[in-house]
Amino acid sequence: MPRLSDSMEEGTILKWLVSEGDEVKKGQEIAEIETDKATMTYEADEEGVFHPVAGEGDTLSIGEVIATIGEDAPATSGDNGGKPKEDAPEAEADEEDRAVDAEAAGEGGDAQPKAEQPESKTASGDENGRVKASPVARRLAKEQGVDLASVEGTGPGGRIVKADVEKAASGEAKPATKAEAKKDDAPKREERPAEREAEPAAAASASSPGTSDPKVTETGTTKGDVSVVDLTRTQQVVARRMAEAKATIPEFTLVAEIDMENAVALRSKLKEVAGEDAVVPSFNDMVVKACAFALRDHPRANGSYKDGKFELYSRVNVGVAVAAQNALVVPVIHDADQKSLGHIARDVRKLAARVRDGTVSPPELAGGTFTVSNLGMFGITSFTAVINPPQAAILAVGAMQQRPVIVDDRGKVEARHRMNVSLVCDHRILYGADAAEFLGRIRALLEEPLAMAL
Amino acid sequence: MPVMRYREALNAALREEMQRDEDVFIMGEDIGVFNGAFKVTNGLLKEFGEKRVRDTPISENTIVGMGVGAAMTGLRPVVELMTINFSLLAMDQIVNHAATIHYMFGGQVRVPLVVRMPQGAGHQLGPTHSHSWEALYLHVPGLLVAVPSTPEDAKGLLKAAIRDDNPVIFIEHEYLYGQRGDVPEDEDFVADFGQAAIRREGDDVTIIGISRMAVTAQKAAEQLAQEHEVEAEVIDPRTLRPLDLDTIVKSVEKTNRAIIVEEGWPHGGVGANLAALIQEQAFDYLDAPVARVTGADLPMPYSKPLEQIAFPHEPQVVEAVLATFRDV
Repeated sequence: MPRLSDSMEEGTILKWLVSEGDEVKKGQEIAEIETDKATMTYEADEEGVFHPVAGEGDTLSIGEVIATIGEDAPATSGDNGGKPKEDAPEAEADEEDRAVDAEAAGEGGDAQPKAEQPESKTASGDENGRVKASPVARRLAKEQGVDLASVEGTGPGGRIVKADVEKAASGEAKPATKAEAKKDDAPKREERPAEREAEPAAAASASSPGTSDPKVTETGTTKGDVSVVDLTRTQQVVARRMAEAKATIPEFTLVAEIDMENAVALRSKLKEVAGEDAVVPSFNDMVVKACAFALRDHPRANGSYKDGKFELYSRVNVGVAVAAQNALVVPVIHDADQKSLGHIARDVRKLAARVRDGTVSPPELAGGTFTVSNLGMFGITSFTAVINPPQAAILAVGAMQQRPVIVDDRGKVEARHRMNVSLVCDHRILYGADAAEFLGRIRALLEEPLAMAL
Repeated sequence: MPVMRYREALNAALREEMQRDEDVFIMGEDIGVFNGAFKVTNGLLKEFGEKRVRDTPISENTIVGMGVGAAMTGLRPVVELMTINFSLLAMDQIVNHAATIHYMFGGQVRVPLVVRMPQGAGHQLGPTHSHSWEALYLHVPGLLVAVPSTPEDAKGLLKAAIRDDNPVIFIEHEYLYGQRGDVPEDEDFVADFGQAAIRREGDDVTIIGISRMAVTAQKAAEQLAQEHEVEAEVIDPRTLRPLDLDTIVKSVEKTNRAIIVEEGWPHGGVGANLAALIQEQAFDYLDAPVARVTGADLPMPYSKPLEQIAFPHEPQVVEAVLATFRDV
């Protein structure tokens, strides 16, 4: 029974428009089906010999087989509630491939047959359509992307056992899941800490962004051709850590608008006094420096919530998110609170260049206690960022712009340089008022940047 | 290493510990003049005298009660009960006193008592002499439970039991008394409680054999390898409390199948307990339900043919293992 409307749960076959044994073509109307909303005609999505399973007037749930279209499938009568009869093995085999699969028809050909659907029943399914598989077989199937409904069980009572899944995973021509299947044995619980340790190294390989060639695995789906791209190790790390952050960190965001007039003035002064080849600090460098100062005064912003404890760090190491080809890398300015603005500016240039040419080393990516992410150069005015765990917060910096600002109590409006920043915080370690004070300190430093020379 | 019988290994353990520590003494029915119903205490009366090798009347509750008192006042008594069936007469002293006193008195008093007794069927001694009840004692917190299956473990674990400050239920097996094996002569050789032995390595299935059934499991494993190409890993827990669950879980994670073989009854048995622990800790590694091969759910028959089919032998173990792989 195809899903012909979003709210539809069952449908009634009003009339078959073709007869038993008819040769139907793809796209040919085969049935009138009454749904909760309307009566609709339903077209064949395969060509072949038509055999109705449900009778006219039968009401069936979505996903139940209403008919088969195949080469020479014998008919099964419609008086069994639409379920294929046990004594029609050939029909079952045929249904494997060709059943009028409601889900697939309704949502596009990319839907995998689901275990619950009667048409994907195998020897391992019981009468309720549940696939009988051992716990380890289920776990392996999930890890290796094997569809249990398509596996035949060789265990007692037809249970799918580990060996069946391994055989399916190695023998199946299923490119979409090949990367998964290639993975070594199941990751064991105790391997996780080691994996964590390996992260800096993994992040380092970010610098060589080798994205594998897309492989086209399916064509002509309702979404067109499907290309599957394997992730680089860095992309895997990014995916996992970002998901970990969103899944585990109770975060909140504070937004502030910062008056950048003095910063603009300072930068033009610095430009004047700088020599020919000298690096002039950017506004982002000022942000990094302001954060470093503020972090020194707010130890919990420079800490981590870890296993029910706060870890507070003596060094202030500010990471600066740098977009590299196909990857996201965060080189770290170590001891940023003790470095001058010029020193920070030179470090950031050097590290960004190393990220881009792929020579950045693991130590240069490790040990960050806070992160600054700036999308201002893309014209983004404000945004939120995902915390880089286990850090306590991340500062998302928008573009500096001239905005109309009311400058006196008579409502006079002038153009002023303003910049939005968002501080995303882990509420387990950094609470609202503390975070507000921390962000206030950053703002105060940027609004009076000379204070950073003290 | 010299080869000894299980009963000789036990005798050596008692002798060595009595020589090492004069607080160690033994009590029981017929252990002195008669040299023990199963000859485990052979020669000890002659060597150590009546003060340390005491023949007692037939009164299990009193013997164990004297042992509890002696242990509380600083001695290290080893009490022999003639069979595990008779230990029920001493259940009050074992469960209400020996196991409990250290807790009741806030740790001020210890009960370093060993209660030794054989269990097991096969000698046509009927239902009042032939049961296997490690599960009864495993049930009781405060008691350590040892079930040695080899002469080496008989010696090593008995020495460890005597040196332990907790009350230990030391369960021997009538069939095993005559079995031979290598036993270290070293007087300092002591086995560890809570350390399972892997008797045979294999990748396909984990068989956990309790007491004598560790031996049956090994024989079944050889048959499985020769006739069915199934390589079984055989684990002998050696002590049930403390239990080396880590070794068992690690093995099951490798083999994905577990079978527990015990001579005792199925309901509330050691296997029932282990099956629960395995499914709790290794559920996602199981490829088949945890299986059990146990003694029959009835009082032990006297008739020889009936007795023989009332406790597990290799064919039942082989069949149970194969049933986890396919319909049999």
